[in-house]
Amino acid sequence: MADSKLIEERALVVSNEQVDKRLYFTVLESPQIAAALCPGQFVHMQIPGMPDKILRRPFSVYATDPGSGTLKILYQVVGSGTEVLSNVVAGAHSSLIGPVGNTWTPPAGARALLVGGGVGAAPLFMLAQQLSEAGSGLCVVLGAQTKDALVAYDDYCALPGVRVVAATDDGSFGHAGFCTQPAQEAMDSGEFDYVAACGPDPLIRIVAGMAADRSLPCQVSLERRMACGVGACLSCVVDTVHGKKRCCVDGPVFEASEVVWQ
Amino acid sequence: MSEVNMSVNLGGLVMKNPVTVASGTFAAGREYNDFFDVSMLGAVTTKGVSLNGWEGNDSPRIAETASGMLNSIGLQNPGVAVLREKDLGWLEGKDVPVIVNVSGHSRQEYVDVIEALEGDDRVDAYEVNISCPNVDEGGMTFGTHVPSVEAVVSSCRAATKRPLIVKLSPNVTDIAEIARAAADAGADALSLINTLLGMAIDARTRRPQLARVVGGLSGPAVKPVALRMVWQVHQAVSVPVLGMGGISTGIDAAEFMLAGATAVAVGTANFVNPRAAADVADGLRAYCIEQGISDVNDLIGALEC
Ligand SMILES: Cc1cc2nc3c(=O)[nH]c(=O)nc-3n(C[C@H](O)[C@H](O)[C@H](O)COP(=O)(O)OP(=O)(O)OC[C@H]3O[C@@H](n4cnc5c(N)ncnc54)[C@H](O)[C@@H]3O)c2cc1C
Ligand SMILES: Cc1cc2nc3c(=O)[nH]c(=O)nc-3n(C[C@H](O)[C@H](O)[C@H](O)COP(=O)(O)O)c2cc1C
Ligand code: FES
Repeated sequence: MADSKLIEERALVVSNEQVDKRLYFTVLESPQIAAALCPGQFVHMQIPGMPDKILRRPFSVYATDPGSGTLKILYQVVGSGTEVLSNVVAGAHSSLIGPVGNTWTPPAGARALLVGGGVGAAPLFMLAQQLSEAGSGLCVVLGAQTKDALVAYDDYCALPGVRVVAATDDGSFGHAGFCTQPAQEAMDSGEFDYVAACGPDPLIRIVAGMAADRSLPCQVSLERRMACGVGACLSCVVDTVHGKKRCCVDGPVFEASEVVWQ
Repeated sequence: MSEVNMSVNLGGLVMKNPVTVASGTFAAGREYNDFFDVSMLGAVTTKGVSLNGWEGNDSPRIAETASGMLNSIGLQNPGVAVLREKDLGWLEGKDVPVIVNVSGHSRQEYVDVIEALEGDDRVDAYEVNISCPNVDEGGMTFGTHVPSVEAVVSSCRAATKRPLIVKLSPNVTDIAEIARAAADAGADALSLINTLLGMAIDARTRRPQLARVVGGLSGPAVKPVALRMVWQVHQAVSVPVLGMGGISTGIDAAEFMLAGATAVAVGTANFVNPRAAADVADGLRAYCIEQGISDVNDLIGALEC
């Protein structure tokens, strides 16, 4: 578990770019958090310009650039907060708490299969970077509704030694259908000894189940509604075989075998 | 900077400034240690603790609402033995008094929790949360009718000589009546408000936003209700009041003191600004300086109507 200190930092919005109908990449200048953050960790973000909604929103960090002191978030507009965020312009400021949570812990030398559905591609990218550098073999399966929504595809393809398999619900690119099928084929190939998954709950559950059937160690990144984001309020608990755990600081990465699915 | 006396006495608990944290929003402080030193506070109030621990409610446990939030955590806690080992262990040696918030499903459970802590000199005061469901009486909360308030408070009173703060539920018709019952049964101080019962609905799915359907409203949205109740209670009883409900700045704290609070607690604001409790303490001092007040006690009940 990453045992870094939590930092609250005033972050400058460097850019906030629409990349598909409801998908945005935003770059935030937050040098202390960017320097400390490990793959899988997230930031708890105050949305600027939303005085009547007071809670922060949790977002995984897609990538960091410690050189320029920035971090990048991939987000989807789903409700009031992300709607307001999508209208924020460069030059605005926000408060971030981070780096929050634990990190992925692939076994050393693991040949890894990463499965990301939708914005579930976000918390896996830094892990993919790390595994690509380690060079022990990596396949990434990315799922999205349409070709245009596969906004992380090019970034993943640019990583050395990584095979990227795409799936679209409408068949406009790659495998037609859910990304669970290419994920299953990859598992059946016997080439992998570690699985990491993030995305909508039903997807994660299916991937976790397939990994369990094949006795593959599997980690999943989970989402819960969060108030404090620092481990104090017990808003975000996940049912596990070891009792209730806090998604924000005991997770967001959990051993799939430990999670009691609702 | 001119000197302001910030020290207050909350029913026998001496606090170096009037600001503590609201139970359940700050754990025991360890989670906020990266943001500020808990010794900046007048006291730390711990998460509600029961005898053997409770699992709490199903998820989702929170929903955001206009200027506030609903929660139905369900008093999840690991029990008094774990509180002693972990939380009081962490707080030991820190220069801050500790108020332990006590929960129970029966009168006996409240007493058992207090008895388990009586020999522990790391505890400075108790805050008895009478908003818990009373299992003996069919699940109605202790805090909503006079006889059960009297019964639970007098039992707790008999179990300790330490400062006994009784935390009132706002979900009652007449808060003054409940306040009098608690004070007459031996409370050294009263704290209020706990959360207001509310609910939130997702119109598209036609489902409640909380797994428990209903939950407790907190945050800036409840502040006017909290101020009104603090003012009414201050007029009804002679014991000091610990005021809370939507406090996020030093000015908010000053308003509660003017309404009659001797001390204040910062809750939901901790989620917005992890330094909120420290900022409220600093802001209250700045307000006193700006207003030319040399003793913060001069604010208590100084509302001019
Ligand atoms: C650890 C973690 C990492 C995340 N990473 C990303 C990411 O990289 N990209 C991305 O697009 N989304 C991510 N999410 C989900 C994101 O936090 C929500 O989509 C966002 O909070 C929705 O806010 P809203 O105001 O638009 O929605 P509303 O529905 O209006 O929000 C109302 C309340 O519910 C909460 N909420 C709603 N949906 C979620 C959800 N799925 N998870 C947690 N809280 C929710 C909000 O924070 C807010 O408090 C992540 C969630 C978690 C827990
Ligand atoms: C997440 C959460 C958990 C809480 N847990 C407790 C608790 O364990 N015991 C208690 O007496 N009050 C509890 N409360 C109530 C607060 O202590 C406080 O009375 C209330 O939230 C109003 O203050 P606020 O508006 O500043 O948050 C909780 C409130 C919240 C939001
Ligand atoms: S969000 Fe408060 S404990 Fe996780």
